[in-house]
Amino acid sequence: MVTKTEGTQLDDLENQVDNGGGGAWEYLCLVRKLKVRRSEKVLKHGLALLNDPKKRSSLGHDEWTLYEQVAVAAMDSQSLDVAKDCVKVLRKQFPESKRVGKLEGLLLEAKGSWAEAEKAYSSFLEENPFDQVVHKRRIAVAKAMGNMSTAIELLSKYLDTFMADHDAWRELAEIYITLQMYKQAAFCYEELLLSQPTNALYHLAYADVLYTIGGLENLQSARKYYSSTISLTGGKNRRALFGLCLCSSAIAQLSKGRNKEDKDGSELQSLAAAALQKDYKERAPEKLPLLTAALKSLKVSS
Amino acid sequence: MGNGDDQPRYEISQAAYIKLVLHAIKHSTSAVNGVLLGRPSSSDASLTEISDAVPLFHSHLGLLPNLEISLILIEEYYGGKGLSVVGYFHANERYNDSELGGVARNIGDHIYRYFPNAPILLLDNKKVEALEKGKDLSPVMQLYTRDASKNWKLSPDGGSRLILKEPSANVVLMDYISSEKWRDIVDFDEHLDDISRDWLNPDLF
Repeated sequence: MVTKTEGTQLDDLENQVDNGGGGAWEYLCLVRKLKVRRSEKVLKHGLALLNDPKKRSSLGHDEWTLYEQVAVAAMDSQSLDVAKDCVKVLRKQFPESKRVGKLEGLLLEAKGSWAEAEKAYSSFLEENPFDQVVHKRRIAVAKAMGNMSTAIELLSKYLDTFMADHDAWRELAEIYITLQMYKQAAFCYEELLLSQPTNALYHLAYADVLYTIGGLENLQSARKYYSSTISLTGGKNRRALFGLCLCSSAIAQLSKGRNKEDKDGSELQSLAAAALQKDYKERAPEKLPLLTAALKSLKVSS
Repeated sequence: MGNGDDQPRYEISQAAYIKLVLHAIKHSTSAVNGVLLGRPSSSDASLTEISDAVPLFHSHLGLLPNLEISLILIEEYYGGKGLSVVGYFHANERYNDSELGGVARNIGDHIYRYFPNAPILLLDNKKVEALEKGKDLSPVMQLYTRDASKNWKLSPDGGSRLILKEPSANVVLMDYISSEKWRDIVDFDEHLDDISRDWLNPDLF
């Protein structure tokens, strides 16, 4: 996950390079550092660097890192010939390298040769059962083939060993959500919340899942997590503000005739509604009447 | 043109059609969805006119809160124009996946409750790829409608129950794809992240 500052820095640099202002190598390094997926641009600018013998030799040993980066970008952009060439160059330079072997596995994936890729990865894992990258590639192959139950099985097993891998927990949660296995998705977010309790995005995602499962208790929990998201983000997270309004409305509906006074709830809802209206007034005033009407329909008083 | 067929038919405007496909192309590595806006035709009871579309999400399609908010806001806006939500659009994450999944069916069911005859349009990736050849003028989507037993059934190709209002829509679409117009399209996800970005896409075309 990238911060707003990092994102802006990256976009600015990208614009600069796109418009011929130089800085291609800095851009490519930043993309690598932030681990973002900008394959088209990386391919374009990286290839330009590689095809310029002077610029290439000025990179020194970094030349090989660039070949690797361009190879992966090429595969992601379905420029398989470029990818093949880059991998060939790397293989020539590093004949025994496992790292190049992994690239060759990726190339098989990019070509859609799932069985061969799976074979290559399995043999990698026989030699080194703790290679996280290869484990994840195996899961990616299963997912790409549409074998969701295999993907889930492999990912769960992976997490038994590598339980601190947050990205893997998030991936598993997302797979569960796609399959509408919400309780299992909730479990994943609970693990993430335990290890990173101040990450607002996990609070938000957990709240969304709880709301989706539904039922009074889950809605009340969801409301708590929307609230914690709001407090962690200084009230700026719009999705949480909306979520809070939805929750309060749903809770009120479910508790109708139960004599339960939900004073806290309606106060929270009013605060959230007011925050949303202020936000829209400042940044999207033409949508404010729509928002007001929507909030009214949720029976929110503000 | 009486062909004696009472089966529901759908005519989709170029604007709606192109918005949906561009949205899918913009987020080519994830599943995306959208809603169709329109009204029943005043002259032909079996025809629904889809005049607009709103691209919704490219992440967490299976979660309810954002969907509910978007539908409330969308219905509020279009209700004022005499239009309502008349259908649902979905594009799967994987190229080879041409099945209508659970999330799409559930959302389709929900929309169907408010507009019986609501269709689900599923992006046909192979047809999108074939657009380049420029030969096919038919929509790059598969049409699903609900049958009497409440199941979503695929309408066979060439059944021409999904019609492009403007016959040259694919030509215009190809043009927009090559000029990378899909970069400009805004969906509800993006609106929630930055409310100054307008999900109505008023200046897109």
